[in-house]
Formats: sequence, structure tokens, C-alpha cells
Amino acid sequence: MTKSIRCLCGALAALLLLTLATGSVRAQEQPVLRWGADPSGGAPYVFADPARPDEYIGYEKEMVDALAAAMGRRPEFVPTDWETIVSTLQRGSFDVIINGLEPTADRARQINFSKPYYIFQLQLTVRREDERIHTLADCRQRTVGTLGNTAASRLLAQEAIPFRSYADPVGAYRDLELRRIDAVLMDVPMEMYYARQNPRLKPAGAPFQRGTYVVGLRKGDDALKAQVDAAIDKIMRDGTLERILRKWNLWDDAQAELRAQLEAPPSASNSNTAFDLTNATFNWPEAILRLTRAACVTVLLAFGAMLIALALGMPLALGQLKGAKWVQSICTLYIEFFRGTPVLVQLLFLYFGLPALGIALPGWLTALVGLGLNYAAYESQVYRAALEAIPRGQWEASYSLGMTPVLAFRRIILPQAFRIALPPMTNDFVSLFKDTSVAFAISVWELATAYRELANATGQFMLLGVIVSAFYLLMSLPMAHLARRLERRLQRRQTVAAVQAEVAA
Amino acid sequence: MIQVAGLTKRAGGTQILRGLNFEVAPQTVLGIIGASGSGKTTLLRCLNGLERIDGGAIECDDVRLAAELAPADYQRRVRALRRKVGTVFQHLHLFPHLSVLDNIIEAPVHVLRVPRTEAEARALELLEALGLRSAAGRFPESLSGGEQQRVAIARALAMRPSVLLFDEPTSALDPRRSAEMRALLRRFAAEGHTLVVVSHALSFLIGLADSLLYMEGGEIVERGPTDQLLAAPQDARTRDFLQQAK
Ligand SMILES: Nc1ncnc2c1ncn2[C@@H]1O[C@H](COP(=O)(O)OP(=O)(O)OP(=O)(O)O)[C@@H](O)[C@H]1O
Ligand SMILES: [Mg+2]
Repeated sequence: MTKSIRCLCGALAALLLLTLATGSVRAQEQPVLRWGADPSGGAPYVFADPARPDEYIGYEKEMVDALAAAMGRRPEFVPTDWETIVSTLQRGSFDVIINGLEPTADRARQINFSKPYYIFQLQLTVRREDERIHTLADCRQRTVGTLGNTAASRLLAQEAIPFRSYADPVGAYRDLELRRIDAVLMDVPMEMYYARQNPRLKPAGAPFQRGTYVVGLRKGDDALKAQVDAAIDKIMRDGTLERILRKWNLWDDAQAELRAQLEAPPSASNSNTAFDLTNATFNWPEAILRLTRAACVTVLLAFGAMLIALALGMPLALGQLKGAKWVQSICTLYIEFFRGTPVLVQLLFLYFGLPALGIALPGWLTALVGLGLNYAAYESQVYRAALEAIPRGQWEASYSLGMTPVLAFRRIILPQAFRIALPPMTNDFVSLFKDTSVAFAISVWELATAYRELANATGQFMLLGVIVSAFYLLMSLPMAHLARRLERRLQRRQTVAAVQAEVAA
Repeated sequence: MIQVAGLTKRAGGTQILRGLNFEVAPQTVLGIIGASGSGKTTLLRCLNGLERIDGGAIECDDVRLAAELAPADYQRRVRALRRKVGTVFQHLHLFPHLSVLDNIIEAPVHVLRVPRTEAEARALELLEALGLRSAAGRFPESLSGGEQQRVAIARALAMRPSVLLFDEPTSALDPRRSAEMRALLRRFAAEGHTLVVVSHALSFLIGLADSLLYMEGGEIVERGPTDQLLAAPQDARTRDFLQQAK
């Protein structure tokens, strides 16, 4: 006993020493530059090398290496999520954002920017056979896909063009192919990498609307900002940046202009605003309106899915209880599949997998059907338990009174089972309400998606969080309340009738 | 009238009923006695079609249910048989979600398609006759065991069966209520019903049953007019049983 404890202590001490040793080795190295970017669908900025998936490549990756070298630091890449990248920088997960970040007005309130290192333009893409859309103005009555929380999405919002936000360019261009949307608006670098080679897509019109990419820094990190700015100057002047951009086929006249500005120092600081198309500021009435719209989507999703679940749950339960052997196996298989796999995976499968079979449902319908199919599995078990709780004598009494199985089920068994099933059904419905939030994975603009986008755009995670929670409660509390009242009424009906009978007698 | 010929029933690999033959004359009462597990309840369940019979036949008025019928045909006959036969289960199985009145009119309205008002009038009549008129609006769970039993009887009678099956009708009754129940059942027979009553309580059947049937191990050991069987049992096993029952 004591011996084994001593062994354990020894092992722990050795481990501690080892970590200390490696720690001190690190400390002797150069200071690190931790940079955050979203590598999923991140080409050509930074993305996993298709040939060696454990390594990241991309023009910004190479640029960071050059910047870090110029700063005398060792770069350390922190993969993160684009939507929440500003907040993640603020909470200190990394030191700088280098991810094709545009210096928008609302971001300027939350973080600092370096000087620009790249001038991008926007490109509209449509399907090869599409002859209707040539400019953004042609999209007024159509849906345009774009990356969430970007200059492009802000431009669309500003122009009041209906758009759908995606988490990565791959999903947007795929949905364009599948006719779920009519066009995609994206920064040229992404368009070049993800759409230009696709024979089923084509650019609509020339690139337009210039904007800049900058490095994002925490407010107050002024020393670092000076270093970064100096490093950008250096790699621009010595041609390192041009070499990298040329290698990635991203060098154009605009970049030459940007470098020319560098030669004329006084105007350099103005370049931010000169190229800024993204002044869309945040206003509260607009935010509340969008949240309300998202809440409606959530309600429709929840009710639609519950309707499917309730309708499909009963045949499943009956199939499992009373069906022939093979019907039972099918029902059990269905139930175990949908209960045993995450609903998120099911939605992704329905959304991205089914189109391979020629079935391309729009996002909201996918979410509705997916959640409905998923919850049907749960409801069937609620029904089954409720049906099994009804004593066999109730069936037999019904039969001996001449009822058919259908009549006995409808008039005698179901009403009793319903009473048993009501509380767990209410529970499921409330959790379905919350589960609608997984629909954000397939770009449905429901409440959770709205929260994420609006909060990311403004940094108002607290305030918007409270508002969104209030929305959820406002929707789910009445439901729970209604169900409780129904339950009580069903229970009380018996006692009330008894009391009335006594009073009357 | 009921006629049973060569009735056999197997379940779980054992023979529960081993070729029963008997008949019950119209408007008479047959009492069935026998030790626990002798197959009395199973016999009643065969008589109202809840158990599928494995051999023999059951005939009730113009309905003949035979083991060798094809499934669809068999099912049709079972339904016809159930129109003739009313059952009062040992555990009653009243519908807990329906009021007393609704328990009674449920089958007439939805099976026989009697207009609701007509069914209600008839149900109230039945309740009146059973002394339960005031309980019409109450729910089963608020009634005493004896009252619940009378509701179950009214529910069976509402279908106007010619045969009534009772399983242990006195198990929940005190001696006075038992005597009342005996008088009630007698009255049903006088009104034209044919009754089959399973009971452990021999004293209950005396003065009620026109004939008795003693079962043991799924077989009929002896049957005959009540007085005769009680006074002079032919079989030693019957004698033993009666000895212990006294
Ligand atoms: N579904 C079944 N499977 C196997 N055995 C059964 C089944 N139903 C009844 N039995 C057996 O058949 C025998 C007769 O049962 P039954 O209920 O008819 O007896 P009973 O005479 O009514 O007894 P009691 O007086 O205790 O009510 C018992 O031994 C019982 O265990
Ligand atoms: Mg029994």
C-alpha cells in the first residue's frame, strides 16, 4: 500500500520536473506571437493542408511567419471560430487576429486595428446558367449567401437584400449549386479559391467595393500594435508580402496602390477610412426586430417539428407494440438510430448528405423535418410507456363489450394513455424549443443564430444574452403553464364531477 | 342457451382445459366450482372469446364458434358471440376516465349505435334498478367496491346480452351484500338471462344455481342439479371438495 503510494509520488515528481524543464526551455526561446484565425473553410487565408492535414497553410499563414520574423517572435497558431473571433481575442485566447479581418465601425469599438495589409474586393457568384443576375441590384427579391459577420454581409444588410449567413464558404457555394440560394457574395480571395474553378458556377459582373484587411489587437495593446505596424511596413517595403501574394495569385493593382500609399506616410493612417465600406453601425430597434423575426422562426420550427413528432410517434409506438415482427424491428431500428445519434449530426446529414440522393430541402424545412424525425423517436417511447401502463383488463373489458380493437384504442385506451403521456410530452416540447438552436449549424436564422451573430457584431454578449433568454422563456413558459393546467383539469374533472354529484344529491 | 363440446385450451405448453362438455339451459343459472387453478376463469374467457380455443366448439343461440374455423371466420364469430355474452370480470375493469353513466352507454352508443339520449335513458333505468341512480355522474374510483360491481353489471346489461358470465362475484362483498347479489342474479335469470357464475363460495351458489359443475385440473369431474350434486356426489374428488368447502 505505502509502497505503491511512494511510487505514485515519485512518478508525479518526475512529471513535474519534466514539465518545469520543458517550460524553462521554452522561456529561453523567443517570445511568442499567438495569432487566431478560423481554418475551417479558411482557404486561401489559413487552412489545413489537404496533403498533410495536421499542418496549416495559406497566404496569411506565410504572411504571419514573415511578420513574426520581422518582430523577432515565434508564431503560434490558435485555431478558432470566425463568428466569435473578436470576443475570443478579448478574452485573451490569443494576441492578434489575422484572418482577413475588415476594420468595421462596430469592431472598432471593441478592438484596435493595425494598418491595412491587403485590399480586397467583393465578387458576386451565380449558377452557370443564370441569366437574371448581373449585379447586386438584381438580387433584391432573391436570397444571397455570404459569410456571417463580414463586410459582405453588412453590405447586404445595408442594401436590404435578403441574405443567409454561412459559417464557411464551402456551405454557401454548395447551397448555390443546390439552388437553395440564388447568388453568393464573397471576398475575392475566397471566391477565387472556392468558386472560380467550379464549372457549375460563374462570376456575375466584375469585383467591386474595396475594403481592407487589418490585424486585430486588444485595446490597450499599443506596444504590440506599434510592433505589428512596423512589421507590416517592413514586409511590404522589402517585397516579402508581394512575393507571398503573387505566389497565391492574389497580387493585383489594388495591392500596388496600397504599397504606394506607404511611400506617402501622412495619408497612411487615413487609408482605414478611405477603403472602409463597412460602416454599418448597430442599432437597437433593428436588433430587436431581427431577434423577433428569429424568435418567430424558432416558434415555427418548434411547433412544426412537434407536430411531426406527435404524428409520427404514434405509428412508431404502435408498430413497436403490436406490429408484426419485421415492423417491430424497423420501428426499433428507427428509434434507436434517432435516439442514439446526435441531432446535430442528423441535421448535417439531411442538409449536406441528402442532396447526393437528389433531395435538396431548404434549411428551415431540413431543420423542421430533422427535429421532427428525431423527436418522433422520443415521443414514440413516451406513448409506448403510456400505452403499456394501461392494464390489459381495459382492452379485455372493451372487447367483451363488442368493441373492435380500433374503437377500444380510440375511446378507452388512448384517452387514458394521453393523461399519462402529457407531462413527459410537455417536457419534450420544452426541450425541443431549446433544441431548435442546433439549426444554426445549417444556417437557419433562428434565435440562437441571431444571438451569436448580433452579439459578435456588437460584443454585447451580456445584454443580448439576457434579451434572448427572455425570448426563450417567453415562449416556453406559457407552454409549460398551459400543459400544467390541462393536466390539472383532466385530474380535477373526476373529483369535481364527484363533488357536483354529491351536492346535487 | 350455451352448449360446449370437447372444449380444449392450451397455454404455455400445458393443457389448461381438457375437453369440456356441458350445456346450460336457457334462463337457468350454472354454478362452477373448483379449486384454485382448476381452469374456471379460463373457461369463462373462452366463453366470451378472449381466449382462442384449441379444440371443440362453443355454441350460443345461433352462433357457433369452432376451433377449426379459419382465422377471419373465427374472428367474425367471436364478435357475434360477444354480442350474446356479457361479462362481469372479477376485477371489474371499469373505465376510470369515464363517469358511471358514460361507462354504461359507451358500448351501446359506439358499438350498437343507439342514439345517445336513448342509451342514457336506458342506463339510468338500469342504475335505478340497481339502486345507483344518484351515482350516474360520479367516477368509478369514488365508488365503493360493491357499487363498482353493480356499475360493471349495468355496463354488461346495457348491451342486452342473453348470457351473463360472472367471475367470483362475491369476492368483494360482505355476507349481507352477497345475499342481495344472489337475489339480483336470480332476478336476471327470471327476466330471461342465462347465467354462468364462477364462485369459491359454495354458500352463495346454494339457492342461486340450478345446476353445479365441479372442475379439477381442467376437467369436469361431475355436474348435475344443485340439490342432487350436493346431497349425493358421485365422485370421490367431488366429495372431498365439498367436505372441505363446508
Ligand atoms: N396464459 C397462460 N399461460 C400459462 N398458464 C396459464 C395461462 N392462463 C392460465 N394459466 C394456468 O391455467 C390454470 C388455470 O387458471 P385459471 O385462472 O383458469 O384458474 P381458476 O380456476 O380461475 O383459479 P382461481 O380460482 O384461483 O381463480 C392455472 O394453473 C394457470 O396458471
Ligand atoms: Mg379465477
